[in-house]
Amino acid sequence: MNQLSFSQAQAFVLEAARKLGAKVEVFSSRNSSTSIQAYAGEVSEFKMSKRAGLGLRALANGAWGYSYTENLSEEALTRCLQNALENASLVAPEGHAVLAAHPEPPHVGDLFGEGLSGVTVDRKVAVALELDRAARAADARVVSVPYMTYTDGESEVAIANTEGLARGYKSNYAVQYAMPLVAENGQNKMGFDWQFSREFESLDPTKTAINAVQKSVARLGAKMPTTGKYPVVIENLCMATLLGTYSDIFNAKMVQEGKSPLAGKLGQRIGSSLVHLVDDATRPAAMASRPFDAEGYPSQYLSVIEGGVLKTFLHNTETASKDGVKSTGHASRYSYRGTIGIDTSNFYLEAGKNSKEALLEEIGTGLLLTEVKGTHAGVNEITGEFSLQAEGFWVENGKVTHPLENFTVAGNFLEMLHEIESIGNDLEFSPMAGAGSPSVRVKVLAVGGA
Amino acid sequence: MLEQNLVSEVLKVARAGGAEFADLFVEDKVTSQLHLLNGGVKDAGGGNDFGAGIRVLYGTKVVYAYTNDVSRDGLRTIAEAVARANGFGGEVDASGAGGLDFRVAAPRKIYTVTKHPLETKKLEKLALAKRASAAAKVGHVKTIDVRYFDWVQRVLIANSDGLWVEDERVYSRLAVNAIAEDGSHRSDGAFLPGAGMGMEFFDGDLPERAGAEAARIANAMLYAGFAPAGTIPVVIGNAFGGVIFHEACGHILETTAIEKKASVFADKIGQQIAHESLSAVDDGTIPGAWGSSNFDDEGMPTERTVLIEKGILKSYMVDKVGEMKTGYTRTGSGRRQDYTYAPASRMRNTFITEGPETPESLIKQVKYGLYAKTMGGGSVTPGTGDYNFTVNEGYIIRDGEIAEPVRGAALVGNGAKDLMNIVGVAGDLARGQGMCGSVSGSIPADVGQPHILISEITVGGRA
Repeated sequence: MNQLSFSQAQAFVLEAARKLGAKVEVFSSRNSSTSIQAYAGEVSEFKMSKRAGLGLRALANGAWGYSYTENLSEEALTRCLQNALENASLVAPEGHAVLAAHPEPPHVGDLFGEGLSGVTVDRKVAVALELDRAARAADARVVSVPYMTYTDGESEVAIANTEGLARGYKSNYAVQYAMPLVAENGQNKMGFDWQFSREFESLDPTKTAINAVQKSVARLGAKMPTTGKYPVVIENLCMATLLGTYSDIFNAKMVQEGKSPLAGKLGQRIGSSLVHLVDDATRPAAMASRPFDAEGYPSQYLSVIEGGVLKTFLHNTETASKDGVKSTGHASRYSYRGTIGIDTSNFYLEAGKNSKEALLEEIGTGLLLTEVKGTHAGVNEITGEFSLQAEGFWVENGKVTHPLENFTVAGNFLEMLHEIESIGNDLEFSPMAGAGSPSVRVKVLAVGGA
Repeated sequence: MLEQNLVSEVLKVARAGGAEFADLFVEDKVTSQLHLLNGGVKDAGGGNDFGAGIRVLYGTKVVYAYTNDVSRDGLRTIAEAVARANGFGGEVDASGAGGLDFRVAAPRKIYTVTKHPLETKKLEKLALAKRASAAAKVGHVKTIDVRYFDWVQRVLIANSDGLWVEDERVYSRLAVNAIAEDGSHRSDGAFLPGAGMGMEFFDGDLPERAGAEAARIANAMLYAGFAPAGTIPVVIGNAFGGVIFHEACGHILETTAIEKKASVFADKIGQQIAHESLSAVDDGTIPGAWGSSNFDDEGMPTERTVLIEKGILKSYMVDKVGEMKTGYTRTGSGRRQDYTYAPASRMRNTFITEGPETPESLIKQVKYGLYAKTMGGGSVTPGTGDYNFTVNEGYIIRDGEIAEPVRGAALVGNGAKDLMNIVGVAGDLARGQGMCGSVSGSIPADVGQPHILISEITVGGRA
């Protein structure tokens, strides 16, 4: 099986489709990455990868059919095209499938930086070793650093279709994180810290390690809170996790399929007047920036909630056609293997004016919530309800007194949007959450504890 | 899938930098999927994943590289990369066939597929999904998603000790989600049966049962109030209820957690870590089960591993590197999502075994508590043992009787403490299917248990 190159494969499929008179879109991507873990002063795992593939979407009789392949031989590509056409014949046409040469994308700043090809493996290894070393040296209560990684990657995305669209871009990243295990008086605690950058040179493993240790040690001496309802300050990254988890309620596909509780609420007030929610794929130097979406549609700044009023949902071309609006450029695709959906890019709550300390003073007595866990299970996007394992601190007279453990927070995201009473000035993005937020103060959440 | 001479050559190149051990994992996976919304086909797709990964060990240091260029050149490129990853700067010897004399493992068949998905038309798969969808249209159900999946994974696993294993794994699954609505009331229910079987898994009325179960949960929860908050007794239902053991205990018995002492159960073999009424097993040999396979992803035949017997810790789940680092014997537990991950010690089909009680006798013992009839997923932080999982369908227990329904809530706790609180186990063992995510990716795994009684656990409701 003779393998074609990345660009040859794309051209081969488009040509084969044209010969059949078929309308197709070719989404191809290739990634290379390196990741390194260290443990107790030595490299414990070193991983390198190269992966490439091609995903096809064929439009036949008004319906999309998908297929993908990592085998880039002519035989496999031909089979892939036939499968996509066969799959299209199974799908019920809804009259809104669109294939077009979309407008030119904007320039979104430098996604590739200096690149990673000039960075030697030894220097990457040194970052991993320093994360481990600095964390172990930072505090006598550090037992080990069982979870930590340095990872980087380069990727290239190319989209082309039989209507004449052809565009692509390259991006890179370097990320480090450390999650030390600390122990005192029989209590084990873990916290973490991380850094994301497109420039290897700007990584500071010593700082990340020390921050991770500080966050872990702060959790020692934790007590179970008493079950009850309390005012809460949700710290920036924790709020980002909630925003990222609930982002699908703004997804037009979910709305049209009857799964979003926001159906029918366009133009209505759905949150406190302090709430300004944005999705901006063009934000400079941000993690999820890109010139165009997974259909090749141009990226843009999009105001989703303005002063508490819902202005728009996130669309791809098909959901936009159904609603009689323009795409917002939010078509997503989980690599070439997935189907087209809708997803956020840089999705964030705009910062307010207050410091986190000021928010704590405003609640007087209550909770500072720093982390929620198990969002894949404990969040209901149909109703807005959530009930989640949490980490945080007890607050008395506006000051943190002690850490908390073994408790839950429960509420409803839709009610919470109305109950945001104050917004911090500390906007931060979380790579895990795929969203950003400042710290916020909410009126009340239910806490399950002792 | 590949010539022995080529594999031998690649494994030789991979060890050129002084590695003591090298193995190769080649995968050719064909997937098929359908998504139906309210009976109409929304998406139809699938494809072919095709790639290879090489792992070498320098002592216990793991170096892994993968590619989906499975040509001689592509494989040699990653083999040279792993050879150079430990500071080796010399010439990689490019000559010769490597001289490995492979012992081809006899095929092992713990289960025989009778209806192969690659020999079945898409229209037939579509018909199954439509039956499940129709069966979910019950009561107040307004929105029904049905997803059909099958995949066939062909693997070649070869190593520098001369091991050569070729195998095929077949998986089938239906996932039904139902949303019920009445005025401002909304609720949802899900049921996701799967198996390590061909399409014979769907024989009989399985599609209808899957649809009906998702609808039953959605309808049962439509008018439910808030669950209580606080620390109370909980009876957890059988089958997917076993997610509690998976999160609270299973992950921290994997050697990936044990070897870094990032487990509260490190160095506890032979000690009592759970209530004496609790025994638990991880079994990779159950014919046709979702987490079973003939060989693990390091080429070792799978086995049935007793983890806990009457509260005493008997074994961890051990892969090759875990054995080297901890000294505990390998249990055929090396698993990975696909060729993009190095293998790690992982669960297969993990469950609490039968006890002497009945579901009714457990509920009778509770004056005020929660009956968690069906469960969703969860997660754990291994280093602390803190875990969470979610109740999808709950009822209040009052004076030993099941009372009003209550909505979903998280249960949270700490594995080391809560295993002591599992004080009663019934005899109605059943298993449920999940996708388990961890260091080596997302893999099919069964959880399971009979009904159990936990004397106290923190419930995250709002009432």
